[in-house]
Amino acid sequence: MIKVDHISKDFISPKKYPGLKGAVKGLFSSEKTVKTAVDDISFTIQKGEIVGYIGSNGAGKSTTIKMMTGILTPTRGECTVAGIDPNKRRKENAQNIGVVFGQRTQLWWDLPLSESFTILKEIYNVSDDDYAERMEFLNRVLELQEFFDRPVRTLSLGQRMRADLGAALLHNPKVLYLDEPTIGLDLVVKDNIREAIKEINEKYQTTVILTTHDIGDIEELCSRIIIIDEGKKIYDGSLTELKDIYGTKREVSMEIKQPEKVKELHFARLFGVEEEDCRSEFDKENSVLCVTFDKHKIQAPQVLSAVMDVAEVTDVQIQETELAEIVREIYHHGVIER
Amino acid sequence: MGIIVMNKCKRYLRLYRVLVSQFLKTIMQSKVDFLMGLFGFFFSQIIGIAFLYLVFQQIPSLQGWTLDQLIFIYGFAQIPRGIDHLFTDNIWLVAWRLVVNGDFDRYMLRPMNIFFQVIAEKLQPDAMGELLVGVILVVRSLTRGVLIVDGPHVVLFFVSIFAGALIYTSIKLFFAGLAFWIKISGPFLQVAYQMSDFAKYPTEIYARGIRFLITWVIPFAFVAYLPASFFLKAGTSAMIIGIECGIAVLFWCIAYAVFERGTHVYESAGN
Repeated sequence: MIKVDHISKDFISPKKYPGLKGAVKGLFSSEKTVKTAVDDISFTIQKGEIVGYIGSNGAGKSTTIKMMTGILTPTRGECTVAGIDPNKRRKENAQNIGVVFGQRTQLWWDLPLSESFTILKEIYNVSDDDYAERMEFLNRVLELQEFFDRPVRTLSLGQRMRADLGAALLHNPKVLYLDEPTIGLDLVVKDNIREAIKEINEKYQTTVILTTHDIGDIEELCSRIIIIDEGKKIYDGSLTELKDIYGTKREVSMEIKQPEKVKELHFARLFGVEEEDCRSEFDKENSVLCVTFDKHKIQAPQVLSAVMDVAEVTDVQIQETELAEIVREIYHHGVIER
Repeated sequence: MGIIVMNKCKRYLRLYRVLVSQFLKTIMQSKVDFLMGLFGFFFSQIIGIAFLYLVFQQIPSLQGWTLDQLIFIYGFAQIPRGIDHLFTDNIWLVAWRLVVNGDFDRYMLRPMNIFFQVIAEKLQPDAMGELLVGVILVVRSLTRGVLIVDGPHVVLFFVSIFAGALIYTSIKLFFAGLAFWIKISGPFLQVAYQMSDFAKYPTEIYARGIRFLITWVIPFAFVAYLPASFFLKAGTSAMIIGIECGIAVLFWCIAYAVFERGTHVYESAGN
């Protein structure tokens, strides 16, 4: 459905110098600074996939999306969406896609929401039958009727987001681009939006690409994620695989009655692993023991039984490394070795 | 081929009606603004004419032009200006805001011609002031008998108005299009547009440099004074309307090409 082939985008700006003197100097110099926002990215996305496109601020997410939607022309490389190059045949491409930018609405601000839908019906040449069918569906999953007659500017952020999503779907696009679709929304609304996206994807086989900082969006929605950093693609694969590669740490916390007995235990030596693969630590009150270990080398029950052999355990908690932490670590360290 | 083009025209006309009626619904919500704008422009027109009278109390004729003729030139100049102002005012927003703040994105995302979307988004009711004054002054000139009235002149009158409006639009579009490279081109557009004030009077009264500038570089002389002289009993040949049309088409092509090229270098804005 989408084929991105070695695209890059450079932004060229006049070189700036600090201070007033610098500003004057900048006027007369012809030096340019080139910032490569997207650097040689390729990927292919199949029909019906939901792909999370993630990266830190300024990593080049929006720039890539804007190239795929036809807003920006790539400096190098090309992409096709449903067989069409969005930069060469912008209008045809526009008919095939729906776009929601979380921080910008594409609705008519001062008019009732219903008017926006009437206009969009005309713009995208949606037939009366299709319109009726689509509206019935959108009303069900997004509950637009609640505020259908209110001016868009009076809608709450959550309502506006639902409205924007509905507006982007009215012409049944083959591809739906969502840039930060849940930004600033409360948990309940987030859930609704995610449910709606899922349903749309299932019913119409819509391909969905979403950028987000919200790990919940990814865990709930995306079968596949692409991570970019400083304009380069650093990961492309399934969520479980990512967790496997990166989320190797597991943590067991135990509430213990006789902590002094456990203190004598040396876990790394006990399991015959490196010091860094198994660490233990007591909390301040000296009652909860926390053991962090590599899940490929040690199993949680091994740790438990080792402790229970010497002391009485009253409570146990096992934690997997959260995706948020993985992503944070990736942003921090850059490329993942695979 | 012909059918495809016709269907396209039909579709765009229909879209234009839909989009403009949405705009009208929006402004009807603030009737006060609407009336104030209309009044303001009418007022500034009256001041312009009063100024002409004032000048002529001192000097009875200007480079051989009588007051009645000058009033026609002034009035005639208002009509293409008013038409352009009415239909394409949104171009200003491209120059000042839409490109630099990234709002231009929305035009790129819709399956319609981009220039069409820009102008269909807004009508400028203030322009009614200019149009009204223009029509009143032209009618007045008719009753004063300063105009040549026959078949060809009447037809060319309308051709000239259309070509003149197109020149206005082209100049605006060209300078607004520069925004794609320099982000904000409003100041340049403003300066260029203000040149049109020169065109309300006979160009002979200006220094040669300015005359050259407004005739050939930013050709506002062709939207007012030069064609107006054809309709007055001044012996100007019909060629002048031909040249006006030629300039209109040429400038439109240049401006549209710049604008179109610009949409490909558009850089949007970060979130």
